[in-house]
Amino acid sequence: MTILERRIRWAAVFVMVGIAILLGSLASDHPLSFMTFLVLGCPVVLLGILLYLYSLSAAKSSDEP
Amino acid sequence: MLSGENLAVGSAVLGIILAFLIAVRTELTRVRDGRILAFLALFVLPALAVWAGASEHMERAKSTEFCLSCHTMEQHGKSLLVDDRSYLAAAHYQNNRIPRERACYTCHTNYTMFGGFKDKWRGLSHVYVQYLGTIPKPEEIKLYTPFNNRECLHCHAGARSYMEATAHMKTADLLEKTSRNEMSCMSSRCHDTTHDVETLADVTLWKEPRK
Repeated sequence: MTILERRIRWAAVFVMVGIAILLGSLASDHPLSFMTFLVLGCPVVLLGILLYLYSLSAAKSSDEP
Repeated sequence: MLSGENLAVGSAVLGIILAFLIAVRTELTRVRDGRILAFLALFVLPALAVWAGASEHMERAKSTEFCLSCHTMEQHGKSLLVDDRSYLAAAHYQNNRIPRERACYTCHTNYTMFGGFKDKWRGLSHVYVQYLGTIPKPEEIKLYTPFNNRECLHCHAGARSYMEATAHMKTADLLEKTSRNEMSCMSSRCHDTTHDVETLADVTLWKEPRK
């Protein structure tokens, strides 16, 4: 497994965990659900997306001569 | 019809399935189709799920039930049922002048471009106080700033009942002053009984007849 694939795998894990938190937060209307979504779900999903985008840009720049 | 909740749940479930596939079969990204799949799973669907989830949570946060779910707001919720039409919040709630399922939000939001977001931002500090701070007594809860007439006039401006009310024609410039927010609807001995939770022990409550 290459470094790129390892980063993509970690990105996928973050996205899965973040979206699972997001899904769980939608199960209730309580303010704490809103906070869980905002403080836990969103940052973890965004971390996954950013890691994925970083892995793409890092791989592309390493391909360049 | 595709509601915000359905979109959030649908994109989230699909996102999890595809992200799981990418996590266990990362070698798929070596080919073009796999890279497209990864883009969908790790960018498009998560972004859509976050956007739809945020939108759904924002909608839910406008409900009366949401606002009254904190114990300290119970008395304010009770004040909506006072059987006395001089209580402004109760008169609005009981006569359907505001949607009952969004009673708090309808009056307490700012009718400006980012008013809804500002409200929710303030709401975060309320949650902080509820769980980590010192919870004030219901009668100690005050507005951050004096109530702006803009929120009242969002509905009442131009309404015949507002324009032609005898009390509103006491002076020639009364309506103009209220529209410029120079004279408050609530703190000028006009509509100054709002929630008044400290008086709730002595009032009778309205019981809505069963439909």
